[in-house]
Amino acid sequence: MVLVHKKKIMEHQFENSSNTEIFDVLAFIPEKFVVDFANGIDVVRDHVRVQKNRTGYFSRLYDGFSGQAASRQSEINASLADGVEGALTWLTELTNSLAKSNFALAKVNERVALIYSAVTSLADYSTDTRNRLADLSTSLNARVDQLSSEIERVAFEQRAERQLDYVFNKWAAGRFDTFSYAGRGYSALEELRWGVFGDFCRDRNGTRVCSEFLDDLTNRVIRQLVIDKRVNQAVLRAPVDEWIDLPSGINCIPDATEALAYIGDWSEPEQFPFVFTVSQQPHALPLAVPRLWSAERLAEALVSEVFERE
Amino acid sequence: MEDFRVGLVLSGGGAKGAYHVGILKALCELGARVDAIAGASIGALNGAILASAPTLEEGVDRIEELWEILAESSPLSFKMPNYLEFLMVAGLHLNGLNYINGLILSAQAVYGSKLPEWLLQWLKVSEGLSSGLLSDTPLKRLMDRYLDVDALGSGLPLYVSVFRSRGALLDLLSCLIGELGFMDPPDSEFLHIQLLPQHERRDALLASAAIPLLFSPKFVNNTPYTDGGQGGWSKMQGNTPITPLLRAGYKTIIVTHLSDGSLWSRQDFPEATVLEIRPQTLISRHGVTPDLLGFDAKKIPSWIQQGYDDTMHCVGRVMKASAARCELRVSEGAVAKSQQPFGRLDQELDSAMKRLMKTK
Repeated sequence: MVLVHKKKIMEHQFENSSNTEIFDVLAFIPEKFVVDFANGIDVVRDHVRVQKNRTGYFSRLYDGFSGQAASRQSEINASLADGVEGALTWLTELTNSLAKSNFALAKVNERVALIYSAVTSLADYSTDTRNRLADLSTSLNARVDQLSSEIERVAFEQRAERQLDYVFNKWAAGRFDTFSYAGRGYSALEELRWGVFGDFCRDRNGTRVCSEFLDDLTNRVIRQLVIDKRVNQAVLRAPVDEWIDLPSGINCIPDATEALAYIGDWSEPEQFPFVFTVSQQPHALPLAVPRLWSAERLAEALVSEVFERE
Repeated sequence: MEDFRVGLVLSGGGAKGAYHVGILKALCELGARVDAIAGASIGALNGAILASAPTLEEGVDRIEELWEILAESSPLSFKMPNYLEFLMVAGLHLNGLNYINGLILSAQAVYGSKLPEWLLQWLKVSEGLSSGLLSDTPLKRLMDRYLDVDALGSGLPLYVSVFRSRGALLDLLSCLIGELGFMDPPDSEFLHIQLLPQHERRDALLASAAIPLLFSPKFVNNTPYTDGGQGGWSKMQGNTPITPLLRAGYKTIIVTHLSDGSLWSRQDFPEATVLEIRPQTLISRHGVTPDLLGFDAKKIPSWIQQGYDDTMHCVGRVMKASAARCELRVSEGAVAKSQQPFGRLDQELDSAMKRLMKTK
């Protein structure tokens, strides 16, 4: 029997299935064994129902005499046999189908296991990569910080050097000529101390670079004092007055002495005798100050007192 | 799809033919396909109305309309057995009314009021029929319209079961002997209505329902035929005429029964896929004769309902089983198809993982 409505229902149920061709060909052609199996139940029930109602004496006698009882029983038996056979057929097919499903399920499990393994590997890989990236990031950050510090240090150092050059170029150009020889050195040192050079020395106090800078500074002061004083040797001594007397001439600033005194007012004669002598020009020299100075002695003393006073 | 044509067998059973209405309604609702019909007795007449209709649905509506009118109270002053009424408006003429009346009157004289009520009603029936009261009723008019032998020519193939009469008494006697299991009457014959000359088609239909004694045999091709349900009595060969459909090549056949525990056996037709619609509860209401002749028209709706319920039950069971098998096959196919891409995907995954492991 071809049952169209069932086709519609099943097509609706499986409308997303791509196997509609199967429906067209197979779905509505009931197989004989299925019909015999399912319909046989109703046949047996019909006969059994009648059989139950034929239990009276005469009914049994009549059915036995006419052979209808035997015919009915035979029909029941045949339908039951068909049913059992149909059940076996169906069960066999169902078992085969179940076996296929189990195999398919096993295959799915295999693939799931494979995917698990792959995902685990991926997760490990991902974690390792992440850790490596974190390490790399830390390392790079440290390196960048280091480079940044280095650049900052170099820049700082360069700025200090530039100021050093600037101040000594200025001195060489005669911009401090209004002061005494010692006053020029002291003025140059104060300018450096209040500028980038001073910051650098304070920041790097005690380091090798700072020490080198101060040595260089001392050397430059010595060299410029030797040039200004027109002496042949840095160690050649001269009386204090020659070092601290103000120059005379039209280029001298009248207030230079006061300005120098103002800048060096922090100096105590006991602690900073050279700076005190140069800036304050006392009538009586402090006891710690020698009466003869060389360019080297003066430069070392001034650098030491100006940059080590804190 | 020629091999999957569906045949429908409408068994005979007198007034219980109302059961066919319920069956056909249910089949129609289920969307069943019917390509040919074979009927005996009332099955032949119902089948003729169905086969001559332009569509199955229309045919079912017509049969339902006829049986509903039959179920209504009779326009006559007496209680007419509805099956007889059905047959007579279809064109059969009661035979030997006076002879039957004489027998009943004699019995009444002997047994008095102990006679069954339906037998006593017969006298009134006889009286009414003699006056021709059935000649113009709504049922008669409907029957004339729906039992259209002209339309049958282009309708569904219709086979009817007829019994070659050897005389009414001998016919009945042979059925009785068959019922007792001594010897079956000869097999019924099957007439393909569409192959008969047009003027013989109606007679062939009426012959299939012509109860011996009550109705005269009908002549088809100069052969007297009576009710087709008589042939092959013990195995219902004539009353459940599957044979002509099998001969015509139909392998899938719906067989309907109008009796409780019919001894017709599907085992005799192993080559066919047979879906039987059998009563799942008692179809008999008052006994063989009253049910056959239909003395109680009120039973018609109950038979219609029973036919509907039983069909839904019997066919539904098969449909559920078939659908389950179909779903199983489809699901198997879906599983197989879903596995196809994995051959390639497995390789791709394997290759990708190998490359990944190399770079680790």
